[in-house]
Amino acid sequence: MSAEPTGFLYPFIEAEERDAAALVADLALSAQSKMAESRDLRAATLERCRADIDAAAAAMTARFLQGGRLFAFGNGGNATDAEGTVDLFRHPPHGHPLPALSLVDNQAVLTALSNDVGFELVFSRQIIAHGKAGDIAVGFSTSGDSVNMLRAFDEAARRDLLTIGLCGYDGAAMAVSDAVHHCLVVRSESVHRIQEAQDALMLELWSTVQRHLARSDTS
Amino acid sequence: MMAIMESSVTSGLEEGPTADLAVASLALARRFAAGATMWCVAPQWPSHARHVAVEFVHPVIVGKRALPAVSVDAEDAVAVVRLAARPGDILLAVSTADDASASHLLARAGAWGLTSLWLGAGSRATGSPANHVVWLEGVDPALTSRSGDMVLMYHLLWELTHVVFEHPGLLEAEPECTEEVCVTCSDEGRVAEVTAVHTDGRVEVLVGGQRETVDVSLVDPVEPGDLLLVHAGVAITSLGDVVS
Repeated sequence: MSAEPTGFLYPFIEAEERDAAALVADLALSAQSKMAESRDLRAATLERCRADIDAAAAAMTARFLQGGRLFAFGNGGNATDAEGTVDLFRHPPHGHPLPALSLVDNQAVLTALSNDVGFELVFSRQIIAHGKAGDIAVGFSTSGDSVNMLRAFDEAARRDLLTIGLCGYDGAAMAVSDAVHHCLVVRSESVHRIQEAQDALMLELWSTVQRHLARSDTS
Repeated sequence: MMAIMESSVTSGLEEGPTADLAVASLALARRFAAGATMWCVAPQWPSHARHVAVEFVHPVIVGKRALPAVSVDAEDAVAVVRLAARPGDILLAVSTADDASASHLLARAGAWGLTSLWLGAGSRATGSPANHVVWLEGVDPALTSRSGDMVLMYHLLWELTHVVFEHPGLLEAEPECTEEVCVTCSDEGRVAEVTAVHTDGRVEVLVGGQRETVDVSLVDPVEPGDLLLVHAGVAITSLGDVVS
């Protein structure tokens, strides 16, 4: 076994290779190392973002208590994170169900906007249609640079929605945008590890909101 | 069954989801190399089925080949996959062990000739009908679904599948079956799905993706959609109650 766990990514390409057991052992080792890397990154990200998570969750709780609704959006795999987020808020495993809507679930709306006004406006136009002061906009962007995400945050902030962005790398444009009130950045260069940590951040936001709501129930 | 057939490639591995992912990835890469489509369903968490599909169709790493993966709504998954899947395709279900529609689908996968993979969390399924099982045990499945761990599992599945593609010599090798209890080539019963019941009493089934006519006198009456255990052209048990 090589000491470098990624060494097998550059194999001696051998068409006659027949030893599947050696490959499977390498695959398992690689999976184990990536799993540890993912869990370490998630733990480190939650710790580093603790203050931002608490501030964002407190602001979200205040909005939910005033009748605010959450809108979630993102591109590609991030679109499915947005869907999963909406599902978590609507159908929580415990605590209060909360009003959440996905801006990626209607193919008629997505294709109409993309075809007629352009993909960069696919979320901002929906924010214009649905967003009210007091609502919450949550956007996932691995790169932090997607134009349609930035346009949506601009529109949301203009309409007094609370805006929360989850992104990777160094946060790129989202991290420096005034329109993103709370930007939670996963400091990694791997799209996969970033998406996994974005999920962990969102789960922690949800769980902190639920703790606040439970406290407000008893006060 | 598959675990037994592939015991030669698993010896010495530490047990757990990463070892199971490794074995499943080898099987998936071989199926994809032979032209398979992967059908993905996640009845409780449909966003995971869509995420898996986009992962394989539109790889995050430029230059990796696009692989055919389709997400299917759980409501009509049995009808859609039965119609559209071809023998040799892959079925991936993401769910808890007690999810009825996932079990329903997985129970039929063998009759349709599909290689099946069950990715789940929480209490592990016992007597799973899937060829490959990758499980996150001892966790709350609803939280694990959103914690990053479930996404991690199929990110790794995608990545390892592509690593196998870097080993062309291993893509064609099918696991050799030398075990006495291998269901595929021994004389044990195989799962079959009834496709047609003729007026003369002949019953057509799909078994391993192939059409066969079987004798159902031991299990009559049957109707299309029923699952049977078939041995040497004779249906010996109805599995209808087991899976519905």
